[in-house]
Amino acid sequence: MMQWDFWRRKRRETDLDDEIAHDLALDAEERIRSGATRQEAEQASRRDFGNVLLLKEGIRETWGWTWLQRLAQDLRYGWRTLRKNPLFATMAVLSLALGIGANTAIFSFMDAILMRALPVWRPGDLVILNWRAKGAPGVVHGLSGSWYDDPHTGWSSGDYPFPAYDLLRTNNNVLSNMFGFADAGRLNLTVQGQADLIDGQLVSGNFFSSLGVRPAAGRLISDDDDRAGATPTVVISYNYWRRRFAKSADAVGQSIFLNRMPFRIAGVCPPEFFGVDPAGAPELFIPLHAAPLFTEDPQDDAKRRFLDKNFYWLEIMGRLRPGTSISEAQTVLAARFQRYVNSTASTEEEKVDLPALVLAAGGSGIDSLRREYSKPLFLLMAMVGLILAIACANIANLLLARAAARQREIAVRLSLGAARLRVIRQLLTESLLLAFLGGMLGVWVAELGIRFLTWLLANGRDSFTLHASLSGQVLAFTFALALITGILFGLVPAIQATRVDITPALKQIRASASRSRLRLNKMLAIYQVAISLLLTIAAILFVRTLSSLHSVELGFDDENVLLFRLNARQAGYSDAALDRFYTDLWARFRTIPGVLDLSLSDFALVSGATGQTGVAIPGRQVPHGRESTSVLKIGPAFFSTMRIPILLGRELQERDMTRSFKVAVVNEVFAKKYFPNQNPTGRHFDLGGDGGKSDEFEIIGVAKAARYNSLKQAIPPVVYIPFSQRVDGMSFELRTHSDPLGLVATVRQIVRQVDPHLPVTDVNTQSRQIDQTINTERIFAQLCSCFATLALLMSCIGLYGMMAYTVERRTGEIGIRMALGADRRRIISMVLREMILIGATGLTIGLAAAWGTTRYLESFLFGLKPKDPLAILLATGILVVALVVACYHPALRASRIDPLTALRHE
Amino acid sequence: MAHNNRSENRIELLQGTLDMLILRTLQWGPQHGHGVGQAIRQSSADWLQIERGSLYPALHRLEARGLITSEWKASDLNRRAKYYRLTAAGKKELVAEQSKWKLLVRVIARVMRPA
Repeated sequence: MMQWDFWRRKRRETDLDDEIAHDLALDAEERIRSGATRQEAEQASRRDFGNVLLLKEGIRETWGWTWLQRLAQDLRYGWRTLRKNPLFATMAVLSLALGIGANTAIFSFMDAILMRALPVWRPGDLVILNWRAKGAPGVVHGLSGSWYDDPHTGWSSGDYPFPAYDLLRTNNNVLSNMFGFADAGRLNLTVQGQADLIDGQLVSGNFFSSLGVRPAAGRLISDDDDRAGATPTVVISYNYWRRRFAKSADAVGQSIFLNRMPFRIAGVCPPEFFGVDPAGAPELFIPLHAAPLFTEDPQDDAKRRFLDKNFYWLEIMGRLRPGTSISEAQTVLAARFQRYVNSTASTEEEKVDLPALVLAAGGSGIDSLRREYSKPLFLLMAMVGLILAIACANIANLLLARAAARQREIAVRLSLGAARLRVIRQLLTESLLLAFLGGMLGVWVAELGIRFLTWLLANGRDSFTLHASLSGQVLAFTFALALITGILFGLVPAIQATRVDITPALKQIRASASRSRLRLNKMLAIYQVAISLLLTIAAILFVRTLSSLHSVELGFDDENVLLFRLNARQAGYSDAALDRFYTDLWARFRTIPGVLDLSLSDFALVSGATGQTGVAIPGRQVPHGRESTSVLKIGPAFFSTMRIPILLGRELQERDMTRSFKVAVVNEVFAKKYFPNQNPTGRHFDLGGDGGKSDEFEIIGVAKAARYNSLKQAIPPVVYIPFSQRVDGMSFELRTHSDPLGLVATVRQIVRQVDPHLPVTDVNTQSRQIDQTINTERIFAQLCSCFATLALLMSCIGLYGMMAYTVERRTGEIGIRMALGADRRRIISMVLREMILIGATGLTIGLAAAWGTTRYLESFLFGLKPKDPLAILLATGILVVALVVACYHPALRASRIDPLTALRHE
Repeated sequence: MAHNNRSENRIELLQGTLDMLILRTLQWGPQHGHGVGQAIRQSSADWLQIERGSLYPALHRLEARGLITSEWKASDLNRRAKYYRLTAAGKKELVAEQSKWKLLVRVIARVMRPA
C-alpha cells in the first residue's frame, strides 16, 4: 500500500513536470514566432510563468493527502523528534518493552492454560461430567482418579463407576456421544527388548470417533477393541512414534510388551492430539477393557472395574446434541444419576450426602491445569498489569515534561494555523510510535519471559507438559496492549500540550500555563508511589512465605540424599520374588562407595504422595465408624537413613521385614492421639479395616514427628510398616557422602545388571524434591521480587524526573525567593515539602489499597497473615528510602540555584 | 483569483468563475493547459489573462472532482502533452454553473441599473 502510493506519487510528479515543460515550450515557440531569439524567448517564458515551486505546491494541495500519507508524515516527524531525544526515547521504549513483554509472557500462559481449545472436531460441543457432594460421599466405596476438596464448594470429582457410565449412555437424548477414559499411570513399555516407562491412558472404544480424531498412521481404537477378550491393541502418540520408531510405517502392527503383557500397535495419533487433559500428554492409548491385564488378578480387577457400582474410576465426556444447551443436558443427566446413586446407596448413612452430577464445558479439556494455575496466573497478570500502569504513568510524566519543553514549538505550529486536533494527532502518533517500538521489543522480552517462566515452573521436573508460545492470539493481545498504552499515556499529555496560551509561550515566558500540568504530574507520581508500595508489600509477603517454608522443621535431614524409583512389579515380579528383588538391590546399593546409609519406602517423604488407611486399636471406643491414619511402607534402616530420631524403642531392621509377626514404628503424633500418656511400645493396632481380614501390628518404636507429604500441612499420625509383599514401585533413599547425583550412573549400572528391562525413574535429590513441592511459592517470591524492584526503579525514575522538572520550572521563583533572603535550608525544605506531600499521599493510598487487597493473597501465604505488620512496615520503609534517593538530587539542585543566574534566565 | 496589476486593460476575474471558464473552454474539445489559457485569453479579447499559478491548480482540482479527465498525447510540437477533456459530470456542472451565472448577471445588472 505504502509502496504503491509512493510510486503513484512519483509518477504524478514527473507528469506535472512534463505538463509545465510543455507549457513553457509552447509559450517560447510563440515568442520565437513573433521574432525573439530562442534564448530570449525561453527566459521570458520562464519569467512570465511565475514561481514554479509555488505552483507545484499549490497543485500538490489539490491531489489531497490520504490518511496514510499523513500518517507517514506524522511518523517521519515523530521518528525525527524521538531521535533528537535518544535518552527519553530509549527509556520510554525500554520501560514499555519490559511492561508489555511481561504482560505478553503471562498472557501466553493464560492463553495456553485457560483459553486454548482441544485440537479436535468442534470442541465447543464437548461437555465434562463432574459430580459434587458436601463431603466424601459414603456411597463412593473406592475412588481411583482425582478429587478435589474445596472448603467452599465441598467435594468434587469427575470419576464414575462403569455401570453409571453404561446407564447414562443408553438412550441418551441430550448427548450425541458419550465416552470414557481413565489414567493408566506409568507403564513399562518394552519394544524390541528395550524398556521405557511411559504415560498411558485408558480410553473407551468410541473415544477417538467421538472426538473426531483421525489417525496419522494405521487405525485408532474402535468399539471392537474395547471389549473383554479382544486382541490387546494400543494406539501410540505421534511424539512416541517419532521418538521411538522415527515415524516408520513398520510401527503399525508391531508387537510390544506392556508390563510384560503382549499388545499390538494399531495406529498412531495425529501430531496435534494430546488427549483431553492439557496437563498430561499420554503416549499410549489403551482400550478400557484391557486395563485388568496389567493387574495381579485380572478377573478380580475386571469385576471391580466393570461391575462394582460403588467403585468410581472412569472419567466421562460427551458431545451435546445440536440445539441442546448445557443446562438442559444437565437436568436430564443429573436426574438419571440421582436415581443411580440412590439405588447404589446401601445404608441410610450413605444416602445423607449423595453425589450430584454437574456438567461443565469441555472445549478446552479436563481442567486440572486450570485448577492448578488459574489463580496464580490471574494474580501474576494483575501484577504485571500494575507494572505496565507504572510504565505508562512514567512515560506520560516524561511526555508532560517534554511537552513543556516543546511549548514554543507547539505554539508556533498553532499560531501558523495548524488545527489543534492535527497537533494532538501528531503528538499521539509520536506516543503510538513509542508504544509500537516498545511492543516490538516487548515481543522479544516475552519470548525470553516465556522461556524463563517455563523453566521456573518446571523446576527440574522432566514431566512438565505446559507449553506456552506466542500464538496469533497472544500477538494480537500484545498489539492491542501497545495500542491502548500508547493512547493511554499519550492522549492526556497531548491534550495538555496543545492547551497553550500562544502569546506568552512564543515570548518564552515561564510557567503561566503549567499549573494544571504540574497537578497532573503530581497525581501520576502519587499513583506510582501507591502501586509500588502495593507491589513491594506483595513481594515481601511472598519472600517471607518462602522463608517460613524453608525454615519449616522437617524432622529429618534432607541434605545429600539421592532419590530414585523402581517398579519391579511392572517388570513381572510378584510376591516373594518382588521382595527378594528389592532386598537384593538394597544389599547391592550398600556396597557403592560413598553411600553412608540407605533405605526404601513406597514413596519419598514430602513428595506430595500419601497413603491412607483405616486403623483400629483393640479396646478403643470410636464415636463414628472408622478412624484413619497415614501409612508409609518402609525398608530396613529407614530412620537412620533419613536421620529421624527414635524416641522410644527401636527402628525397623532387616530381620523385621519378613517376620511372621508384624511389627511397626509409629510417630509421636500417632502415639499421642491413640495412646495419650501411655507407653505405646508393645501395644497393637489393626490396619485390616472393615473388610474383616485382620492385619495386626505390634508397635516396637516411636519416632520423632517428621514431615510426611507436605511442608504446609501439619504432620499427621503416621505408621511405618515393613514394605514386604504390599507394594508395586519403591523409592530408594541413598544417603551419600558428597553430591548425591554423582552416583546416578553407578545406580543405573547396578539395576541394569539385575534386570535390563527395569528403568530407573524419578531421579532426584531429597532437597530438590521438597523444593519442587513449594514451586508456586518460590516462583511468586522470585517473580514478585523482580516485579517490585522493577516497579520501584520505574517509580524512582518517574519521581526523579518529576521533581527535577518541578525544580526546573520553579527556578525563577526560587531565584526571587533567594534574592529576597531565603536561605538554602528553606529552599530545600520547600522542595522537600512537596515531595513529602506526594510521598505521604501515595503511601496512604497504597496502604489503603494493600489493606483492601492483600486478603486475596491469603491462599498463597504460609506462616503469616495477609496483613503482616512486618511486611507492611518494611515495604513502607523501602519506599521512603527510594523516595529520598529519587528526590535528593533535585532538592540539592534547587538549593544550589544562583539567584542572579536564575533571574537573568527569566 | 486571477488578477493582473501590470496591465490597465485587463480585469480581475470574479471569484469562483475560473472553473466555469475552463469547463466552457473544454466544451469545444480536448485541450492542454496552455491551450486552455490561450483560449480564454483569445475569447476574452485579451481582457482575461489567466496566470499559470491559478490555471494549473484549477485544472488539477477539476480533475480531482471528476469534472474533467486527462490523457497524454503527442502535441503539435511532437512533445508529450496532457490533454484535458470534459466528463459527463463536467458537462452537467457547466450547464448548472452557466444558468447560475446568467441569473447572477441579471440580478446584479438589475441592482446596478441606473436609476
